[in-house]
Amino acid sequence: MRVRIGILIAALAAIPVAGQKFYPDDPLLKEPAPRRIGEMPVRELSDVYDLFVHSLATPGELQPRTGPKIRARGTNTLGDPMEGAWWERRHYWNPLTHEQLQRGPGGTRPPSMDGKWTITGPKSSGVTPGFRIKDSTGTTYYLKFDPVDYPELSSASDQISGKIFHALGYHVPDNYVIEFPASILELSPDARIREANGQRRRMTHDDVNDALRRAARNQAGLYRGTASRNLPGALIGEYRYHGTRSDDVNDTVPHEHRRDLRGMRLAAAWIDHDDSRAINTVDVVIEENGLRYVRHYQMDFGSTLGSASYKPNSPRSGGEYLFDWRNAFLQFITLGALVPEWARASYPDIPSIGRFESERFRPEKWVPEYPNPAFMNALPDDDFWIAKQIMALSDDDLKAIVDSARFSDPGASVYMTECLIRRRDKIGRYAFSRVLPLDRFEVSGGRLIWQDLSAQYGFGGAGPVKVEWFDFNNLTGAATPLQANEGAWLPQPGGPYLLAQFTQRNTPSRTISVYLRRTASKVEVVGVEHQW
Amino acid sequence: MVELERSAKAATLAPETLPKPERIVQQFRDKRILERLTEGYKGWRPIAGGLATGSGFAFGTEYAHHNLAGGYMEFRAAAQLSTRLWQKYGATLSFPHTFGRRLISGINLTHRNYNSLDYYGPGMFSTRGGRTNYRLEDTTLQGIAVARPEKRLRAGAMLGYVWTNVGPGKRGGISSTEQVYTESQAPGLHRQADFFRYGMLAQYDRRDNPLGPKTGGNYVIQWVRYQDQTRSLYSFNRYDIDFQEYIGFFNNLRRLAFRARGTFTDPAGNAVIPFYMRPTVGGSDDLRGYRQYRFNDSNALVLNAEYRWEIFSGMDGALFYDAGKVMRRGGHLALSQMKGAAGFGLRANTRNQTFLRFDVGFSREGFMIWFKFNDAFSSQRFGTGAFQPLY
Repeated sequence: MRVRIGILIAALAAIPVAGQKFYPDDPLLKEPAPRRIGEMPVRELSDVYDLFVHSLATPGELQPRTGPKIRARGTNTLGDPMEGAWWERRHYWNPLTHEQLQRGPGGTRPPSMDGKWTITGPKSSGVTPGFRIKDSTGTTYYLKFDPVDYPELSSASDQISGKIFHALGYHVPDNYVIEFPASILELSPDARIREANGQRRRMTHDDVNDALRRAARNQAGLYRGTASRNLPGALIGEYRYHGTRSDDVNDTVPHEHRRDLRGMRLAAAWIDHDDSRAINTVDVVIEENGLRYVRHYQMDFGSTLGSASYKPNSPRSGGEYLFDWRNAFLQFITLGALVPEWARASYPDIPSIGRFESERFRPEKWVPEYPNPAFMNALPDDDFWIAKQIMALSDDDLKAIVDSARFSDPGASVYMTECLIRRRDKIGRYAFSRVLPLDRFEVSGGRLIWQDLSAQYGFGGAGPVKVEWFDFNNLTGAATPLQANEGAWLPQPGGPYLLAQFTQRNTPSRTISVYLRRTASKVEVVGVEHQW
Repeated sequence: MVELERSAKAATLAPETLPKPERIVQQFRDKRILERLTEGYKGWRPIAGGLATGSGFAFGTEYAHHNLAGGYMEFRAAAQLSTRLWQKYGATLSFPHTFGRRLISGINLTHRNYNSLDYYGPGMFSTRGGRTNYRLEDTTLQGIAVARPEKRLRAGAMLGYVWTNVGPGKRGGISSTEQVYTESQAPGLHRQADFFRYGMLAQYDRRDNPLGPKTGGNYVIQWVRYQDQTRSLYSFNRYDIDFQEYIGFFNNLRRLAFRARGTFTDPAGNAVIPFYMRPTVGGSDDLRGYRQYRFNDSNALVLNAEYRWEIFSGMDGALFYDAGKVMRRGGHLALSQMKGAAGFGLRANTRNQTFLRFDVGFSREGFMIWFKFNDAFSSQRFGTGAFQPLY
């Protein structure tokens, strides 16, 4: 025991100290107010270039093959991202009601059915047909329709995945499942359309009919799709999953090192968001309370779950990159005799579900369509951070979210919910097995209390844990053992900062350092750090 | 810390720019260069390919007007020239939207001048050394109407006239056909004929994706009557069948593809069939270990089997075995006298459509390498006239 404590002291003392570790305002739950930005031009990325560059030589600062790993940045001292332009604390911290989960970021402003929807142009991007409209209140929406052969496929996926990402804290657009008659549409005389060769011309009723011909209708003859409410600011293009935007003063952490983006890998795996790439993000210039800053959105979830927007997703989705040197070589030389695990998946014959399943899903192996530097950099603590939020969505929460998709086939609703539950549990089991899965540290009644998330969700628990206490010098970083103390009770002697070192007895490399600050009125947790 | 980072960033703020290669790619997209090339400018666009195999690289220009008569009528006209100076000119007036796209009809006028088509003599015992070449010049005027009573079923009829002219081949180093073969070995070599042509076709297509099928089948039958308008020497009936079946497994990432294609002719009375109108076996779409048009006779049968597997999302591999024969009489269907060819291939695809096919076929006559811009078995063979390699 003495030897172990000695090693620990030596290890802690070896940590280079650049200055004081905690400041009086730590932990910062919100980002400091953003600095006002100037004019920012629209900068659209090339999806083709993105595909090739990421497939052939993934950009950004990737984890070194050997040596210490690069830990996530953009977090507070508790290890959570700060609320702000990228992410907000939601369901895990402040549980949302079922109604709030279903509403997502808005949920109260679908296109008004009282009056005509004026088509002001075609939907400018994506593979599904659609329009840009203004409803009778003058609000702009983007409509996109489900494919004829797969009604509800794309709109249901968009609805479910958007609401899940919202619950996980990401900024997403305010989208609605809509069903409407063709008679509600009217064409603005000013609507213009750009032909394939780039020439602009007036949009005609033939253009409208052509789009509607490719749209699914329900049994009542109503067209079904998604209405996406215009985002609350000027769109200036996508963000990348690496580097920063050079003209945004508030964008300081390389995106490949942001915890919210690294952690997103498992969220994307959950909903099979293999299309999680730059083209499905957007930066929006927000002006509020005299501030002008960029907010970063995830968008276009129509190609998630079992959907590829206009058809069911590829069975390859999530299983393998579109192109991978090693796998392609293996397939080539084995003449296909080597059948990947993902290729053996079986899918339900439900058109509105597409290809989505949980049996062959392996969260540790899941990949998007092509390498994503932020996902590649994800470490066990990044996975733990998102997994605890994913697990916080209960079976009933997920049922409520799936209900918001308004499947006409009850069987589809049941299948989707069960699939999400099983995939969620696989993620939780995986992520909680790679770190010491303790969280929600707080002081109560003179004791440090916490939750064992692995035990809470029935994954077997963290097992025996040892807690050792240290007096922590906030200026030097030195930790002095308080040898008389071991266990959850806070030691009485010591300075203003304490360090509780949690060690998993079965796997001693898995530790959590919990820092506490003692003031005259209270003792509070100010820092949490995982090692594994 | 956050403010320190922001201060540091403020000192280095710079306009956001794309890397040069990305800028070029983006400009290519913004200026819609690819679309302008494929969709054309004011109806004009370049075209490539579309001539019979053996032409070399063919290029040309096409004019298309899609919105005649309120969008119900389309007009296309094209002129093409290949690196071997083969020529093709055509104009089509079509009505693609009649009865809610349930009836497609059109009139087509095509002139072709192929100056060096191969001919090896008739029958299965023709030799590779018997290779000759001839010029085929023809003009076709035909109308076709195809109804689609339901999504998978098509039935149609055609009516037209064909003016043909056969002459000496132009390819150097190979004898011209008339120097080697007699009129009895190559009927129609010295006597030109014009034909009144009419027929019917039916297709049942349950392939999941006709441009890159993974499951389902495609079954086509066609009958065409060629009525010689000059001497009645060459009148005949022609019957085509093409049955394809695709069986996918492991979520269609592995597939078996089978095809049986047969062409049978029935000369009227003592008539004979001009050699250039007889079915052939050999080439990129049937017997891939043999040269194009390698075997020629009154009837033909081809059987193909392919195993295809996905190497990565943009490329499939294929192993294949082809068997085929030509016959003087249609009843000689015994499989024992078939020529065989085996090989392998790679198929580049995008959005589940094959856009480039590379096949290597091996046979007793050596090996052949094929680069094609279509899927195997998919070349247009039905609906007579300008779409077919020959007839």
